[in-house]
Amino acid sequence: MAEQFKMAQPKEYFKKFLENDIRPDNRELGEFRPTVLNIGCVSTAEGSALVKLGNTTVMCGVKAEVAQPDADKPKDGFLVPNVELSALCSPSFRPGPPGEQAQVLSQNMADLLQTSKCINLEDLCICPGKLVWVLHIDLVCLDYDGNVMDACTLALISALKNTSLPAVTVDEDTGDIKTDPTSLSNLPVSCCPVSTSFIIFDHNVLLVDPTNEEERLATGAVTVVVEGENLVSIYKPGGSALTDDQIETCIDRAVERSREASKLIKETLYSIDR
Amino acid sequence: MAGMELLSDQGFRIDGRKPHELRRIRFKKGVFRQADGSAYLEQGNTKVLAAVYGPHEIRGSRGKALHDKLLINCQYSMATFSTQDRKRRPRGDRKAQEMTSHLKQTFDAVVMTELFPKVQLDIFVEVLQSDGGNYCASVNAATLALVDAGIPMKDYVIACSGSHMRDTPIVDMNHLEESSGGAEVIMAILPRCDQIVFLEMNSRLHEDHLSGVMDHVMVGCKDIFNVLNQQVQDELCQKTELDKIVTTG
Repeated sequence: MAEQFKMAQPKEYFKKFLENDIRPDNRELGEFRPTVLNIGCVSTAEGSALVKLGNTTVMCGVKAEVAQPDADKPKDGFLVPNVELSALCSPSFRPGPPGEQAQVLSQNMADLLQTSKCINLEDLCICPGKLVWVLHIDLVCLDYDGNVMDACTLALISALKNTSLPAVTVDEDTGDIKTDPTSLSNLPVSCCPVSTSFIIFDHNVLLVDPTNEEERLATGAVTVVVEGENLVSIYKPGGSALTDDQIETCIDRAVERSREASKLIKETLYSIDR
Repeated sequence: MAGMELLSDQGFRIDGRKPHELRRIRFKKGVFRQADGSAYLEQGNTKVLAAVYGPHEIRGSRGKALHDKLLINCQYSMATFSTQDRKRRPRGDRKAQEMTSHLKQTFDAVVMTELFPKVQLDIFVEVLQSDGGNYCASVNAATLALVDAGIPMKDYVIACSGSHMRDTPIVDMNHLEESSGGAEVIMAILPRCDQIVFLEMNSRLHEDHLSGVMDHVMVGCKDIFNVLNQQVQDELCQKTELDKIVTTG
């Protein structure tokens, strides 16, 4: 009976739950799904992380290559994020070139890395003007159940914190590049930006960490990226209008989430070091 | 000579295994909610994910529909961070296309395609970490995913690789052993029917050694089958026990 109601009138079905301040998966409106983090799972990558936010699963791998730097920025390395939403993760994605959502997420990751300045590009310099590191950060979504943005940022930061690069020496005279795989140094990541995504339902209810079904019913969305106590970015791509107070609530929730997530990352990193 | 370092005088391989010993196998079925069937499989350091969607209506051109059989659509993809050097094209390059078509041919022979005319089945395989035996791990993971999805099949399909080194047949090679230049025999079999579904051999191998290697690979496949089947049966028993408790309790 409930199944048929849900199929025929999904919005009304959802509203019935919201009337009692709860969601169909038994969460409160401001509650995140259980987050599982696994760092350093792929040994072929320089850094890796797997994040499970409820059912949404994202795997991040960081591979390092060397390249010549830009002529006008001789000491800056490159960070190249890429998000892949393949047909593997959901029946709604078809095999083929990256769709719009994947491209937007890739650009969001690039913007995040740039605005939060969590990695100083000069740390990626090997020999100014001649050789710098290029970090390819590939995020693969394995199971799509909503809120891929938050899972991606968490995986991205965790994988970067796990990244260690070998020492590289460039012979001045011959230009020979020698890599020493035994001497690895951790990549310095100065901060830990955490994103919190909300959807707006029925133009006035804010729900944090939406599942796939909730995203389909959304009338708008907001993502807030917070680092410690500082606000890094707010992303609101159209959709229902929000008041000042509602944005304030979002920011407060995001600050709380940032604390929880940073603690989780710290604990996971500590447990693998032991 | 390639076999020198890869098989020591005491008969140990480069990772400490005996010639007939398989790598450690760990797997889990039903890891994804979105897919109808899914499995994660580790064979040594090779980590593979498989997801199955379907049977569902043909997507894309209706003209591809087979009027009397199920259309199996495979996609083999390697994560860019799965190999030592970053892989530029996760899918669509020649090796991946070849793998894709091999997987499709393998499963075309095993899935009971007559039961689902005019519909499509998608099998997606993603290699997260590659350390040799990619095809074998992919086939094994896809079999488990099909079992998880409840797709009718004639039997499990189990694949294993083998080679001949210093007069000893070895089984289940890792990346180092594969790239050493020796002959490589890859077989996919139906373990309970003792039938070969897929067989590939590359590089040079003396014909006297071939049957020996093939026999060892068959045994290797059957060993893998025992490991996989044992756990699948156990999980099934546990599930039916739970169901019994739920319905009678």
